[in-house]
Amino acid sequence: MAKTAETVAEQRGGKKFRLSSTAILFLFFVVMVAAFAALSRDFYSIYNVTSMLTNIAFSGIVAGTLTLVMIMGGLDISIGGNIALTSCLVAYIYNMENAPATGIIILIAIALGATIGGFNGFVITRLDLNPIITTLGTMAITRGMGYVLTKSRSILILEDVVGFIGRGTIAKLPFPLILFIVVYTVLTFIMGRSKFGRKIYCIGANQEAAKLSGINIRKVKFITYLVSGIAASISGLILTGQSAVGMPQHATGSELDVITAVLLGGTSLAGGKGSVLGTLAGVLILGVLYNGFTMIGFRYVHIRVFQGVILILVVSLYEVREKKKY
Amino acid sequence: MVERLLEMRGISKRFPGVLALDSVGFDLRPGEVHGMLGENGAGKSTLIKVLAGDYSKDEGEILIGGEKVELKSPSDSQSRGISVIYQELNTLDTLSVAENIFVGNLPKRKGLGTVDWKTLNRNARTVLQRMLVDINPRKIVGDLTVHEKQIIEIAKAIYKDARILVMDEPTAALGEKDTASLFNIIRSLKLQGVGVIYISHRLKEIFEITDRVTVLRDGKLIGTENTKETDRERLITMMVGRELKDMYPKREVPSGKTLIEVRNLNIKGILEDISFQVRAGEIVGLFGLLGSGRQNIVRALYGIDEFQSGKILIDGKPVIIDTPSKALKRRMGFMPIDRKLEGLALTLTVSNNITMANVDNLGQGYFIDRQFEKEHARKWVKDVNIKTPSIDTDVNSLSGGNQQKIVLAKLLETGARIFIMNEPTRGIDVGAKVDIYQMMERLSEEGAGIIMISSELPEMLAMADRILVISKGRITAEYSRKEATQEKLLHAATV
Repeated sequence: MAKTAETVAEQRGGKKFRLSSTAILFLFFVVMVAAFAALSRDFYSIYNVTSMLTNIAFSGIVAGTLTLVMIMGGLDISIGGNIALTSCLVAYIYNMENAPATGIIILIAIALGATIGGFNGFVITRLDLNPIITTLGTMAITRGMGYVLTKSRSILILEDVVGFIGRGTIAKLPFPLILFIVVYTVLTFIMGRSKFGRKIYCIGANQEAAKLSGINIRKVKFITYLVSGIAASISGLILTGQSAVGMPQHATGSELDVITAVLLGGTSLAGGKGSVLGTLAGVLILGVLYNGFTMIGFRYVHIRVFQGVILILVVSLYEVREKKKY
Repeated sequence: MVERLLEMRGISKRFPGVLALDSVGFDLRPGEVHGMLGENGAGKSTLIKVLAGDYSKDEGEILIGGEKVELKSPSDSQSRGISVIYQELNTLDTLSVAENIFVGNLPKRKGLGTVDWKTLNRNARTVLQRMLVDINPRKIVGDLTVHEKQIIEIAKAIYKDARILVMDEPTAALGEKDTASLFNIIRSLKLQGVGVIYISHRLKEIFEITDRVTVLRDGKLIGTENTKETDRERLITMMVGRELKDMYPKREVPSGKTLIEVRNLNIKGILEDISFQVRAGEIVGLFGLLGSGRQNIVRALYGIDEFQSGKILIDGKPVIIDTPSKALKRRMGFMPIDRKLEGLALTLTVSNNITMANVDNLGQGYFIDRQFEKEHARKWVKDVNIKTPSIDTDVNSLSGGNQQKIVLAKLLETGARIFIMNEPTRGIDVGAKVDIYQMMERLSEEGAGIIMISSELPEMLAMADRILVISKGRITAEYSRKEATQEKLLHAATV
């Protein structure tokens, strides 16, 4: 990780001996890992590392696509509801009489995510509704539909393929982690190298200027929200596999943790600024924070307090650095 | 001795690097309408803001009714009976007419202290009747016309017992009928002894309504005249009598074939039958006052705003341009009026901004060829003389002049040959101006056509080969470079 941090600093170039914020985050991450490893033997046990990485992968995938949405100046808080509804639908269909093949169920799950994301995108681009309001609406709709579909119960789903998505391994690597790595590699390329990624940055930095520059704002926004929806349904599949149940309470409040990770990674709520690599650092830090503090004996409720403190601290540091720049 | 409502003596105001007001004197008599004239940046707004308590003066003194006062805040100024009605009206659009007039001092019922609507509406009606206007006090202000809103603001001022009323370009958004109605109201105020300071670019109105007129230029008082004893020519000369600096690299370029032609462009209520053409190598200036419709013409051409009827021909062929991206495909480039609002992505780098309108051509397929992008960015940084530490610097940290050059570079990067340049040198230093003029000249030599909008007369006269004057949505005159003078342009623009 330290190596990545250095290359990041080099890439930014030009600014002498000024570590990029992302590099500082990765350093912070390394220090945290070292500290927890020293404080708790169990922290770096294979079992714990695997479970930690699986958790990171689950929220990391949606944090990655949410980064695109937020760099574009938007927001998607329907993620949690989307995840829950996906898990409910998958378990529900699996338990139907004449249930379709698992492959079809997985496709349906992804189609559900695409529909929710596409709906968000449609409302935001065609009806010009504020993204917070729109996705607040879909958040309630999806979460509510999960309860309706399952009659507020958990539905057991013991299915090998879905189980594999959540718990399987390839060459000892957890499958969710592989998905996570693939997603981050693709997203890093999109935001760093592709025309589409550049358009996202332009829209986030100045929508009017982007419009006058001939960028098709509606198309870019629609696709980005669509992708965010699809990513949420993939996370939904992971969670279903991991827990072996579909239930409407899944991922309650996860949208706020995911937003926290993105902000921690240096993406600005105003848009136009941020990176997938930064979000990666944010996701890793939060993941290690929860796991490590649990290992050394803190309770969940205490760690939430730390999460809030760290978010405010880090984002105010960004502000200070930003002011110094000019 | 003449009685004076207001007297301002030797007012000076400095901003970093600029002397905005240089020992200006001004006075106002009861029942007088006193016009104030001057080009953009002459100091009119600064003087008004000092009077309104928005700015503190650096030197000078202000006397109201012969008594020396210090106006340290807008409330100081209001309590002395000064009321300013700005061009952007400050009405509370979701409240009723009566609430707007009496805001901050609504009549209350005894006991619970709830609003006494009956008394409120009755009082509002009385105030409005005194101004001889008939507006229902219960109406929601958001539903009123601009003129009616203006009346509400005047009523508010009168109710607060304003003795000195400042009106900044009050007719800019009014039609003839509303203008006449406004003048009636102003005349009734005169009879009540109110002094009105009337700021306008429209000379016709100055002659119609004012008693005296004061001209400012470059922060200095040029003179105060009795309206009856002066004439149009004299006022214009007072306003613009500035020497042209030798900063325009204008060369004669023979113009070629017609690049773009506009035929009978109409936007309901805004533009009427606009027709013109721009040839290769030509710089065509669009001159007009604020709200004349200049912006609407170029925004329609570039596919930003819709228009009801009319044709656009490029290279002699009719084209449909209803989005900026179609305009770009026709090799048009658009420099917006405000670089920060519409031109630049401030949080992105110099190179990202330069290539912003050309992202799709930065490489094959879905990816950006970064080497290619860098080469292009470096080329334009050099060609347009953009002073930046590197092409990876955030645009935010550069000066206004360099930012403006980046907007120009952005147009150049798209390979445009029809340029719409909106206020190409607004608010930038002389060095940057000259760089931009030179690039404009180079473009015309290379056969580009440029449509330039500028509020700076000297720039317009020096750079444009042909000037179309727009007034109230119509082309009222066309002058070649040789024919055009500041006086002629101002005449045609104030028709």
